[in-house]
Amino acid sequence: MVKYTLKRLLHGIITVFIIATVVFLLMRMLPTDYFFTEEQLMKFTDQQKEAALNAAGLLDPITEQLGRFYLNTVKGDFGISRRLQAGQPVVKVIGQKVAISTKLGVVALSISLVLGVIMGIIQTVKKDKIPDHIGTAYTVFVNSVPHLVSYSLILAFGSRVLNFPAIYSSRSHTILSCVLPVTCLCLTSIAGYGLWTRRYMVDELNKDYIKLAKVKGLSSRQIMVKHILKNAFVPLAQYLPLSFLETIGGSLLVERFFSVPGMGPLLTDAINRYDLNVVQTLVIFYAVIGVLGVFLGDILMMIIDPRIKLADREGVR
Amino acid sequence: MENEDELFYFVPYNPEHAEAIGSENYSYWKSVFRNFFKKKVSVIMLGIFLVVFIFTFIALSMSKFDPLNLKTNSDLSFTKPNQEYWFGTDNIGRDYWSQVWYATRISIELAGIVALGECLIGITIGLIWGYVRKADGFFTELYNIIYNVPRIIYLTLIALVVGRSFWIMAFSLMFFGWLPMARNVRNLVFMYRDREYNLASRCLGTPIHRILLKNILPYLVSVIILRLALSIPGTIATESTLSYLGLGLDVNTPSLGILLRNARTYFLDFPYLLVFPAINVSIITVAFYLAGNAFSDAADPKTHR
Repeated sequence: MVKYTLKRLLHGIITVFIIATVVFLLMRMLPTDYFFTEEQLMKFTDQQKEAALNAAGLLDPITEQLGRFYLNTVKGDFGISRRLQAGQPVVKVIGQKVAISTKLGVVALSISLVLGVIMGIIQTVKKDKIPDHIGTAYTVFVNSVPHLVSYSLILAFGSRVLNFPAIYSSRSHTILSCVLPVTCLCLTSIAGYGLWTRRYMVDELNKDYIKLAKVKGLSSRQIMVKHILKNAFVPLAQYLPLSFLETIGGSLLVERFFSVPGMGPLLTDAINRYDLNVVQTLVIFYAVIGVLGVFLGDILMMIIDPRIKLADREGVR
Repeated sequence: MENEDELFYFVPYNPEHAEAIGSENYSYWKSVFRNFFKKKVSVIMLGIFLVVFIFTFIALSMSKFDPLNLKTNSDLSFTKPNQEYWFGTDNIGRDYWSQVWYATRISIELAGIVALGECLIGITIGLIWGYVRKADGFFTELYNIIYNVPRIIYLTLIALVVGRSFWIMAFSLMFFGWLPMARNVRNLVFMYRDREYNLASRCLGTPIHRILLKNILPYLVSVIILRLALSIPGTIATESTLSYLGLGLDVNTPSLGILLRNARTYFLDFPYLLVFPAINVSIITVAFYLAGNAFSDAADPKTHR
């Protein structure tokens, strides 16, 4: 178990390392103009530019730059933002955004986890009856219609009919202005949790031990809660750490759609304005989140269900 | 024991007896279609999808305006739908009908091309991944590297480094879209390649392509179709997201994302700007998704009797 955990961890680190290298090299393929702030670009002469590049070590051979990049990253030094907030350390720029995204994300995650699991339970209990069909219709709608369209519908309905603010604002009515973005975030994840809860519960429903429980004379409520839900929750738990960590990353579309100043818009802004250090750091950040989330998910599943041994289900999930 | 001779004697050929012990004439594809057409809802869905799909091409030629050279006319901005402008006009007075249908066509074309590409790459890599044991480690690592970073990051990076156009977008979507398909195919090949009946077939000298086609492919078909049913709405969604974020298609190409992005500020006051593209794309994606799911169920040999 310990050996397996260490092996997985090492694997994760290698994955992040490769991603970081690829992104670094991609960034270096761009013209060197992007290493200056827009202001510097206007004022500097060619000699000044070259001197600055030299001083920053950007004209060194690529291997040397790469080595320095690894060293700094390990030390936790991600450089400074050159364009979005000139001169600020990247860590600080990201830090401000993380708070907002996490706040919205965690609220949405909690709501959708509760509602999604409840929806799944109701669908299982009322299998093949009207509530089940309504739930399935909802899931199909969310999964097939592009999110941009469903968000637009929520926006139109929420702001016209229910009078919620149409854009996020950090100054006035912050909580009210969070309602629509959170609804949009929930829309998809409720469908996800509902779908999986229903599927796993229905799988359990057909197993022999449930028949035994019925024969023993347990009420169907007891069977649902004590046996089926508990067992069905194990595979769901696997995805929880990843979903939780992903809230830190924010949602690109929702945050852009409601002008939430979170992590989502930061990435596109950084890319559109060629703030290379920020882009680099964000990619590493998302990669770490992805690797760590999956890893923690597997560990969590192993802890709640001791029957599962991960060593033999290595490789592809 | 005295009648041992009775147990070992030649049986003359008798067509009726042969019929009784032989299996009925089973055809995979016939069963697939029989199962599919049994469900009325899915057939209707397929019908709706086809009608809208075909209409997409007719609608553009019906329109009085060329969707790529629409005249802007500020006097006509926000015209409500009428006889001249069937879907009204947008904020700078361009005909909305041709824009909406053109966007629908772009979406369908992109989704179709990407889905085909994903299938080709995904199935090929999945087969190699599942069949060649030595390649397993490499492909698993490759999968993890691509899968662990949100796809949107790669797509934005490509938009940044290479540029933006229909084909760049199609290729980059394909390049990151084959993963789930390859994983599913790999898992199935892994599961079925060493089953007893395949081992038996191999021992009896059945050629490998026959094993692949007759014994393994039927298990893959349903997964492949399911992935297609998910991939087409998925691609349409990704296109709209990317274009909305300004990382997809050119701003002057009417596409779903661009239309909604332009309408974002206005559709609260002029709901038809949202309603038409929304209905259009919803019908297509929902119908395709349901029909695809039903077909995938029908293609699963486990449901055949």
